[in-house]
Amino acid sequence: MKTKLTTAGLVSALLLCAAPAHVLAHGDGFNDAVKIIEQFYHVKHQSIPLLARAGMTAARTAARIKGGEYKRLAEAGSVRVAFFEDQDFNSRGQIATFKASMQATFAGTWSPLVQTLAPRNEEQTYIYVRDAADKFHVLVVTIERHEATVVQATVAPDILAQLMKDPGEMGKALTEDATINDN
Amino acid sequence: MKNLFQTTGKIAPVLLLLLFGSALTARAQGPKLQMDQLDFLANKASETVDVKLDERLMQTTARFFSGKDDAEIKEVLKGIKGIYVKSFTFEKEGEYSQAEVDSVVSQLHGSTWSKILSVKSRKDGDNVEVYLNMVGEQITGLAVLSIEPREFTVVNIVGPIDLEKLSKLEGQFGVPDLGIEQDKTKKK
Repeated sequence: MKTKLTTAGLVSALLLCAAPAHVLAHGDGFNDAVKIIEQFYHVKHQSIPLLARAGMTAARTAARIKGGEYKRLAEAGSVRVAFFEDQDFNSRGQIATFKASMQATFAGTWSPLVQTLAPRNEEQTYIYVRDAADKFHVLVVTIERHEATVVQATVAPDILAQLMKDPGEMGKALTEDATINDN
Repeated sequence: MKNLFQTTGKIAPVLLLLLFGSALTARAQGPKLQMDQLDFLANKASETVDVKLDERLMQTTARFFSGKDDAEIKEVLKGIKGIYVKSFTFEKEGEYSQAEVDSVVSQLHGSTWSKILSVKSRKDGDNVEVYLNMVGEQITGLAVLSIEPREFTVVNIVGPIDLEKLSKLEGQFGVPDLGIEQDKTKKK
């Protein structure tokens, strides 16, 4: 009897542990990423207008990757951005746990493309991709010691193909592209 | 029953390891390596890079390499079903163990994998091992292990790939610059 109860308890605990990731996995990638960051690091994202980032050097980076004149990478109107600024992103030695949370959440719905971690500087980049009819949704999560950015954008396959040549620069290029001022 | 439960509890970790080992060995017959067991090294590494370009993504985007500059890369990528890279850089020596290396190497002992002996790295001191997965005369995959005191990198490419194609991929698609070149003075 005791054994049965212990087993039932273990199974229940496992199901309960698995539930949050499972529930999140059916949600929206952008909101899920924001939620994971907020829960893990106990931070809050800010709704900062894109125009506040007008001074960024997006054009140079994107143009270099594309090997020519600058052209927007993301489809018009497809960009979603969340900023976390002036906050403390300290994983306390558990950066791999955060990575595992990301993997568990997006498994099955998004394909992980690139993940880079530098625990000493608390720097992380995650790039996920999923089909969006004849285009792709790309989700980029960039975390540094005191700021983070979540970007989701729709890109055409030819743009994604070019970006895939240098996956390490893809996150930077898309994030800068998403936060550039059109004006 | 209680005794049985307690005994099972004690041997469970051993059984799990055996099962895990069996799973890795079983996968050794295929060109795609299991590398997720290395993920915990991210906590120790000063830098971790993890790239996964799967078949669907490769095939979907390969069609869009249509320009003049892309002709060569399109040819190299022809038939490639995946590029998987895990690279860990450490601040100090001895932060990863032989067990981690063995968890990958053990998968390369299957009958379809063979080590290329005539390969060396242009970089001084680099210990680079290259393995090919072959089915008959057909190359179906490649694995590169770069084992350094402060760096451990595994590159796994699934599909028809040879050293010449690999050298063209270095520095692109997440494949690091391994400095691999074929030593023409040695035979396989």
